[in-house]
This record gives sequence, C-alpha cells and structure tokens, in this order.
Amino acid sequence: MQKYISEQNLHTLIDTLITTGTRVVAPRINAGTPLYEPLTSAGEMITDQLPKRSAKEAFFPVCEDIMTYEKEGQKVSVTDIDPNRFPETVLVGVRPCDAVAIPVLDAVFSWDYKDEFFLERRKKTTIIGMACTTADDACFCTAVGLSPTETRGSDLFLTPLEGGGYACETFSEKGEALVSNHQNLFSEPTNDKAKALAQPSAEKIDLKKVKSWLDDHFEDPLWDGVAVRCVGCGACAFVCPACHCFDIVDEGTEKSGKRRKNWDACGFWKFTHHASGHNPRDLQPKRYRNRIMHKFKYYDDKFGQTLCTGCGRCVRICPVGIDIAAIVEEINNK
Amino acid sequence: MCDHTNKNIYLPYLTTVEEIIDETPDVRTLRLVFQDEQVRDSFAFRAGQFAEYSAFGAGESTFCIASSPTRTGYIECSFRSVGRVTEELRRLEVGDTMGVRGPYGNSYPIEELYGKNLVFVAGGIALPPLRTLIWNCLDLRDKFGDITIVYGARTEADLVYKRELKEWQERSDVRLVKTVDPGGESPTWDGKVGFVPTILGEAAPSAENTIVFVCGPPIMIKFTLPVLEKLGFSDEQVYTTLENRMKCGLGKCGRCNVGNVYVCKDGPVFTAKQLKAMPMEF
Repeated sequence: MQKYISEQNLHTLIDTLITTGTRVVAPRINAGTPLYEPLTSAGEMITDQLPKRSAKEAFFPVCEDIMTYEKEGQKVSVTDIDPNRFPETVLVGVRPCDAVAIPVLDAVFSWDYKDEFFLERRKKTTIIGMACTTADDACFCTAVGLSPTETRGSDLFLTPLEGGGYACETFSEKGEALVSNHQNLFSEPTNDKAKALAQPSAEKIDLKKVKSWLDDHFEDPLWDGVAVRCVGCGACAFVCPACHCFDIVDEGTEKSGKRRKNWDACGFWKFTHHASGHNPRDLQPKRYRNRIMHKFKYYDDKFGQTLCTGCGRCVRICPVGIDIAAIVEEINNK
Repeated sequence: MCDHTNKNIYLPYLTTVEEIIDETPDVRTLRLVFQDEQVRDSFAFRAGQFAEYSAFGAGESTFCIASSPTRTGYIECSFRSVGRVTEELRRLEVGDTMGVRGPYGNSYPIEELYGKNLVFVAGGIALPPLRTLIWNCLDLRDKFGDITIVYGARTEADLVYKRELKEWQERSDVRLVKTVDPGGESPTWDGKVGFVPTILGEAAPSAENTIVFVCGPPIMIKFTLPVLEKLGFSDEQVYTTLENRMKCGLGKCGRCNVGNVYVCKDGPVFTAKQLKAMPMEF
C-alpha cells in the first residue's frame, strides 16, 4: 500500500498514538545525545541525526529483569516477569541500518528455544522506517549490500519528499493496520520527488567472497595485526544494531533480588574465561577475530545472514580507531 | 528439553539440597531433589547433558549432570569452589533451595555403545561428566563388553568420588586403573604413580570394538589423544566433552562457540574427529 503523509499529520499520528496509550519510541535528544527513546510528544522527535545507540534496545534492552527471587529461611520463591508487561509500541524514524537488523536478530532469539522477552516485544511493536538523508564518512551500509532506502525490517517506510511530507509504503499487515486505523492522516501518493537521500561512499563488498576467505583463514597473519590496539572496552558491541551477546546475573541482597539479562561483549576478556583460569580467547586479537567471524561467517553459517548493517557506529565510537569496514574491505581485496 | 509450562526459558526449577558430599577439600557434590513433584517425576535427561545451577543472589554456573539418568528422583552436580557462584553454592546446607535450568545440550550416544567395550579416561575434576555415563553403563551392565576406567589426579586428596572408586575397584566387571601424579602419593597409596596419558599407554586397552571417553584439562587431552592413536583408536572411536564458559545454555548468549559450533547446542559431547575439524579455540 502506497500513501502520502504530511509532516504535520505524522506528528498528529504520533501524538494520537501517545494519548491513546501506545508507547512511541523515536530518535530524540537526551542531554545532548540522540537516542531512540519513548516520546512524550511528537515535537521531541528528530530526523536528522543517527541515534548514538541502535534501535535493538526496543526489543533487547541493555538490562532486563528476567525473574525475581525472595528467600525465606531455606525456601526460595521465584516470580516470573508478567508476560503481558510489554506495551504496544510504535518505533518511528528508524534508520534503515537499524530496522534491517531486527529481523536478523529474530533468527537467534527464535531458533530452538524461544526468547519471549525479545519475541513478545517484536509481536507488539510496529516499525516505521525512514529513508536516510544524512551520511558521514563512517557510514558503510552500501558496502554490505544495503542502502539509505533499504526497507527490510520496516512495517511502514517513509521517504522524505522535496516538497515536504513523506511517501509511505507498507510492508506488513502491521504497517497496513497502522495506516488503516488512522486513514484520515494519510492521503493518496503524490508525484513529488524524494528529497536528496544520503549517499554513503563505501563501495560494495562481496560478502560471499569475504565469507569464503574467513572459512579458510581462522589462522592468518591478518588477525595479529587488526586488533592489537583494541582495549577491550566493548563499546563496538554496545552500539551495534546486530550484536546480541548477553550475560545473566543476579542483582540483589541475601534476601531478595532479581535475575537480569544484561548486554555483554565478545571483546571483554572475561567473556570466555573459564573457572579453571583457562581462556580459549586469551588475547585481544583472538577476541576481535571472533567479532569479525561471528558477523561475517558464523552467523551466516547458522542463519544465512550477516550480522553487520554498515551503520558505522562502531567505527565512530572506537577509542583506538579500529575500522571494521576497512578490515572487511581488506579481506575482500585478498 | 526444558518443558516448562511457563514461556520464560530463563526460569529455573527449584530444588532442595538433599545431601552434601565433600569429595576433596574444595570439590563438593550436591544431591538435589526437585521441589515440584510433577517435575521430579518428569525431569528426564541423558548422560552427557548439562544444566545451569543457581545460587540465588549470586547467579548461575554451568556443570554437567553428574548422576546417572538411571538413578531417578534426584540429580547430582559436583563442582570446585572457584568463584562467586560456586562459593555461594558451597555455602548451601541440607534443606536449602537451589535453582536448576536444563537439561541442555547433546549427550553420549549410549544406544550405539551396546555390545562394545568401553574405556573411560579422566583427570581430576573432569570425572563427573564421565561418571554419569559410567553409572549409566554399569546399571545396564549386560549391554556392554569390558569396561576400563583410567582415572588420575594430582594427588590422592584430589581424587573425586573416592567411595565409588573403591566400589569400582572391588567389582569384577570393571577394570579401574587409578593414578596420581609423581609426588602426589601417600605411603599407603595402592594405585599407580604417573600422568594419565602414560598410565593409559601402559594399561593399553584394546581398540577393537571399543569406544573411549576422555575428559580432563586441555593439557591432559592434548597428550592423551596421541596415546590413543598409538593404541589404534580412530578419531571416531574417541569422545570427549567440552566445558566452555556458558551463560544461557540455549544457543543465544554467544560465548561458548568454538568457530561456528555452539558447545551448548551442538555439544558438549564431541568425537575427536569433530574436535579436529574445529578451529583451535577451546
């Protein structure tokens, strides 16, 4: 379904959703930092800056309670988290590099054992993607086969138009329902041209070729060089739309507390550290190799997908300037 | 499979500590009984599978289920106190509550072992993952040929399941070869003195119609595999179990992988052939 929505009507849509009890999450400024966060009104939404962290946390929060416990003498009682706790949510203004990662994450959270924390939120969330109008030197979605107009992952996709407002296209029943529930805010598509979209300069990488090199080069001098300077801060994983490793920890007192699922990162030395003291990935380059392998080989082996959307966040945030795009390009050129 | 009626895959079963056995100064075995009667009856696992054990307030730790699936009504785990969770588990007393999630992972192909001779090779704290299978096989003794157990530890004090070692030693249908590292023996020691790979070489079990199970520290595995090869064992005849750091046990949290193999889902039991196909990252 193709439609048009004006800027003003998009705001009306957001405010209507908020007042009727739907949680609306969109890029907004929090203490100077753009983040995907719940809005209190449509006016808070920004569309010209890439949020510092990705949209994955709308489904997979940084920290999340998975149960609570209470001790009474020798007995312990455990309480599940209310399965109906997740509110109906609409994500608005999601960058294509963020939206496309969500169905990629479906694979790991739904294969075999089902992680209801992720999947229930998925069920209750509608994603409104927005074509990207700004790119910087770190953006490389075009290198990994995506683009500023990639619609995968979006239920409804907005493309900003030259004359104002947005061309809308629906890609799922959820997207169609959103449009038909607010019909008066949408009108028939116009012939207006799309606003100048972002044009990341990164050249397309042959992901098949990269993977086939990785298949045969677990041991290679490349690994010794790529991440010697990595300080293991894990920031790359925390800002990544596709990284999904987590820890399970108890937080509380002797008497009561909660068990939580917290983001973790393969760059941390303790990530694979055995109780015996043995560590299969004992050096930073081995940990960084795992990061590349997981993104461009292992996940593909298991689920047929790549764990990188070229958002460039890890490149921007790395305190020692490690550039994953450059490394993958180097592999591509081998 | 964990068949919680509840959808939350991270929710543990509650168990009561029924018995505590100190194996060594720092290794302890806990016998756990599921508090929910229905779970007690329905909880089923296969030898080789593992679980996530929790001390509420400290977190979860991954150990194999050390008891045999043939012994029902309880499960046992054996662990060394080395960290926050295991220290907390050690503090538990009889009657205290502990959490268990599982069983997870693959298992030993016990049906394929029927009619075969079995050799178990273990070092130190690595006997528990084999003990589950040893008792499983001993409880179905008629189905197997010769059973040989080669078990060693640094010192006599470090040997776990001492009562059971005695029992195995006294049985005529089991050949137990026990050893301690040089210097780890007392004047009354009645076993061998030497490293496990060397003692295994001396014991020289026949490779014919035999499957061998090896579990121990990486250094022991490294020196045991060539000994087995020399004795004529092919890589398909050798099984081991990997003990990577895990959190979820469900193929999601991302840390137990060796290359593209997830130890929690594809393992923990692997043949030496599978092991050799993996990158050297375990």
